[in-house]
Amino acid sequence: MLQYYDPNSSDTTNPQPLNPNTDYGTPASESKTLVSVAVDGRNITVPEGTSVLRAAALAGINIPKLCASDNLEAFGSCRLCAVEIEGRRGYPASCTTPVAEGMSVTTQTGKLAKLRRNIMELYISDHPLDCLTCPANGDCELQDMAGAVGLREVRYGFDGENHLDTQTDNSNPYFSFDPSKCIVCSRCVRACAEVQGTFALTIEGRGFDSKVVASQNDSFMNSECVSCGACVQACPTSTLMEKTVIDAGIPEHSVVTTCAYCGVGCSFKAEMKGDQLIRMVPYKGGAANQGHSCVKGRFAFGYATHKDRIKEPMIRASIDDPWQVVSWDEALAFSAKRLKAIQAQYGRESIGGITSSRCTNEETYLVQKLVRAAFGNNNTDTCARVCHSPTGYGLKTTMGESAGTQTFDSVMKADTIVVIGANPTDAHPVFGSQLRRRLRQGAQLIVIDPRRIDLLSTPHAGKGIHLALRPGTNVAVVNALAHVIVTEGLEDQAFISSRCDTEAYNRWRSFIAEQRNSPEAMEAVSGVPASTVREAARAYAEVENAAIYYGLGVTEHSQGSTMVMGIANLAMATGNIGREGGGVNPLRGQNNVQGSCDMGSFPHELPGYQHVNDDVVRSRFEAAWGATIDHEPGLRIPNMFDAAIAGTFKGLYIQGEDIAQSDPNTQHVEAALRALDCVIVQDIFLNETAKFAHVLLPGSTFLEKNGTFTNAERRINRVRKVMAPIAGMEDWQVTMALSNALGYPMHYNHPSEIMDEIAALTPTFTGVSYDKLEQLGSIQWPCNDKHPEGMPTMHVNDFPIGKGRFAVTEYLATEERSSRRFPLLLTTGRILSQYNVGSQTRRTDNSKWHEQDVLEIHPSDAELRGIHDGDWLGISSRVGHTVLRAQLSERMLPGVVYTTFHHPGSGANVVTTDNSDWATNCPEYKVTAVQVEVVSQPSEWQRNFKRFDKRQQKLLKPAMHNEGSQHAKPTD
Amino acid sequence: MSEQQLSNLIKMLEQIIANNLHQGEAAEVAEVAATHVHNFWARSMKQLIINLANTHPEQLSTVALQAVVLLQAKSVGQPASFNP
Ligand code: SF4
Ligand code: SF4
Ligand code: SF4
Ligand code: FES
Repeated sequence: MLQYYDPNSSDTTNPQPLNPNTDYGTPASESKTLVSVAVDGRNITVPEGTSVLRAAALAGINIPKLCASDNLEAFGSCRLCAVEIEGRRGYPASCTTPVAEGMSVTTQTGKLAKLRRNIMELYISDHPLDCLTCPANGDCELQDMAGAVGLREVRYGFDGENHLDTQTDNSNPYFSFDPSKCIVCSRCVRACAEVQGTFALTIEGRGFDSKVVASQNDSFMNSECVSCGACVQACPTSTLMEKTVIDAGIPEHSVVTTCAYCGVGCSFKAEMKGDQLIRMVPYKGGAANQGHSCVKGRFAFGYATHKDRIKEPMIRASIDDPWQVVSWDEALAFSAKRLKAIQAQYGRESIGGITSSRCTNEETYLVQKLVRAAFGNNNTDTCARVCHSPTGYGLKTTMGESAGTQTFDSVMKADTIVVIGANPTDAHPVFGSQLRRRLRQGAQLIVIDPRRIDLLSTPHAGKGIHLALRPGTNVAVVNALAHVIVTEGLEDQAFISSRCDTEAYNRWRSFIAEQRNSPEAMEAVSGVPASTVREAARAYAEVENAAIYYGLGVTEHSQGSTMVMGIANLAMATGNIGREGGGVNPLRGQNNVQGSCDMGSFPHELPGYQHVNDDVVRSRFEAAWGATIDHEPGLRIPNMFDAAIAGTFKGLYIQGEDIAQSDPNTQHVEAALRALDCVIVQDIFLNETAKFAHVLLPGSTFLEKNGTFTNAERRINRVRKVMAPIAGMEDWQVTMALSNALGYPMHYNHPSEIMDEIAALTPTFTGVSYDKLEQLGSIQWPCNDKHPEGMPTMHVNDFPIGKGRFAVTEYLATEERSSRRFPLLLTTGRILSQYNVGSQTRRTDNSKWHEQDVLEIHPSDAELRGIHDGDWLGISSRVGHTVLRAQLSERMLPGVVYTTFHHPGSGANVVTTDNSDWATNCPEYKVTAVQVEVVSQPSEWQRNFKRFDKRQQKLLKPAMHNEGSQHAKPTD
Repeated sequence: MSEQQLSNLIKMLEQIIANNLHQGEAAEVAEVAATHVHNFWARSMKQLIINLANTHPEQLSTVALQAVVLLQAKSVGQPASFNP
């Protein structure tokens, strides 16, 4: 765990529950041994190793402090926290002095008061006296301490040598650094090192000359800083300060809510002035992040009030018509009429709905209910189809539940950490920081990835083992690892015999032991030296606790599901299941991937992964919903596209998902969208998909609605409304209204009522309610009679299917192979500052870090083709062609190129193919055979894209400015 | 129905089979594939592949054809169509 407030710490011996809004001065001690001390005559029992400062704070006594904070190791530089201890000489610093049995501490005497005033005098003599106009006025620990110690005069005067004229560094778009206010407490330096793990800051010089510098005396923007905000949070003065606070002043109230970006699910205090959001401050009480954040959740919220927000419902007869603003009623009636007309003409199965993992649980639940009950078919899917559907299939097949097995904190007990096809420091940054912390403590890292990810260069960590495999050969490598474990006697036989199905195990064992699965046999396939595979297998299997974390580099392959099963096999074979420090952990990309899958968004499963062809399950839902549910699965997203092009699928309701940008083979997706008679897009912006739409329903951001998200640890977190929805309706209300317009009644007054319905119908959610979420803060499902407060670690005693089932995982090369024509393999990924299709982050200053997608290419491949850094490169695959700028990089092996897809005009998905996972149709984004060459102009697709975009913006403009005739009716 | 839709369905079915060849003899593989399609494919997709097996069996491998026969059998006993 990070060193922030820990709700599970042994400090719970304290009768007062810990308050996440209090700074207890130093981190909690993990010791189980308790010691009793007296502070100012008050007796308190605390774990051994607790500092005197913390013990006093737990007893309700606040000793003045400046350089200490409970998320950082004590440093002892300011001496303001001096105390007197009976039987000891002098005035020890309470932050660096641990308690001892029977210790008697006095925190306030005349001598201590004088000492503290002297210290404050020294600080203040080199500090501007502009408190009244300082942006931190009212939120400054230095100011508070001056008051606390009773500072009344500064005898040294203010005329001596000082730092008052130093220049402010405004290079970071979100916070400024004003060294004239710095007291050199080094909290920022330690936060960057201990909490974030970036080590971008140092104290340079000594004594009076000491100062904080970023990297090699660079500006913050040009330094290694990743703008996580930990230093800003730690700074006790206004030296490091959010620009929004400098502009608007100190916020006056706050609401705790959950970040809507990635699957870590960080809790934040949305700090407000009226209905204006001033800053997002990571919340110490959030169990997933414990007070840490990344640049996205912390700073990139400006999109919520961006001028491009769709503020009113709009309709149009065809995609060549201008948008017309209409009332909600008109938009919904128009949608309902069109959908019904399509069904009358083309049949009940000719329409469907897609929901997004960005939406809340309650919203995704309602969308699938709308499709199943009001549309009368099962054509519902979610964008999780294109990311983690193989996780659902693979984990359910082997371990009986479609979810990761651990908490994030579990990593702090792992001795070996395997990261496969994931890049946590960019895509799950707060978890990435926690992981780095564990690596600094000495855990062994194994990375299985074609690319050299940043985790491998974690400062102050040991050397990681990198299995730099060829894209598309995951299963070959996982089989080789298992082969070593089996043939070198590294299995956990006790676990296997007691917890796993013997027949399945025996089949798997004889398969995996075959010589063809050995690292030596697989070396030619994967490109990974056999000796490295053997070293990694031993490092995984020989330690007490070994954990696997994986991402889309596992799932987005033609054998994505097979690979997930291969990972589960490894964990079961070594008994790394059912306890902290081990497990199988899918790192979910978006905020609510886990939740959208849990909520029955897939066409074959009702909420709680209950199959639609199960009569008993269906009848329970039918009774509750008052509707008949089809027993046949519906179309998945790629199947919808095929059916649209074939002319049998004609209408689509899309909530919060941008399939035109995010799905593979863009030209195929565009053709499908053009073939539809009615596309209803509910979103916050005119995204790429909305350019093909006939109805535009304004969506609400996470700040404008109530609900819940479920993060990658199965943790259900509350999303709380902090401002009114821009168009008057929260997203769940829009779906409800559409359903009512279609004639299937839905009536909920609040998302809590939707959660009550989910709990009544989903066995793993029966104990979940908004009241319980208020009480517990968050809940990790399953939460039911057996686990009334949820279940942090899964499969402790058994699996939901009884015994774990090993699966035979035959390696099969993908059809997408490099050839003479397409000699390179393209793989895709994400970067820290942008989020998926970028529609949110591109509308914030995060773009300053990543203004365009580039193609990373190895210098040797570049040289062969005469490519230089910054050249325009044409990238051609079997399905399309696009143009990106070149960036020479040695992160990948020769033969592999890499890009991101955060900007629509890049057309990264114009080149990805519609090959997909055999079991789930999850697209194979991670392997595309390509050729690249230097070109001088954009591709034809890019030119068309630009033209189409320009035209669609023109069709939108009058409606956005309300120039068109209000509430006009297009013909339908 | 489009050519592309059909060729995708054929590809999907053959891919399911290829990834389950380790399940045993052809009959067992066909059974696994049929069960998978039964559980995960939409009604219209099943119907298209069944029609294809009847009209153009040469476009499917032997195991795929066997799987389609089993798929058809699995549908027996289930309502042919669904009327909410
Ligand atoms: S913002 Fe984060 S990364 Fe940047 S200097 Fe501060 S703590 Fe370090
Ligand atoms: S910038 Fe702030 S946190 Fe860092 S040393 Fe200066 S006063 Fe302390
Ligand atoms: S994007 Fe992820 S890591 Fe960053 S603040 Fe949000 S939830 Fe946390
Ligand atoms: S707070 Fe203890 S020395 Fe600064």
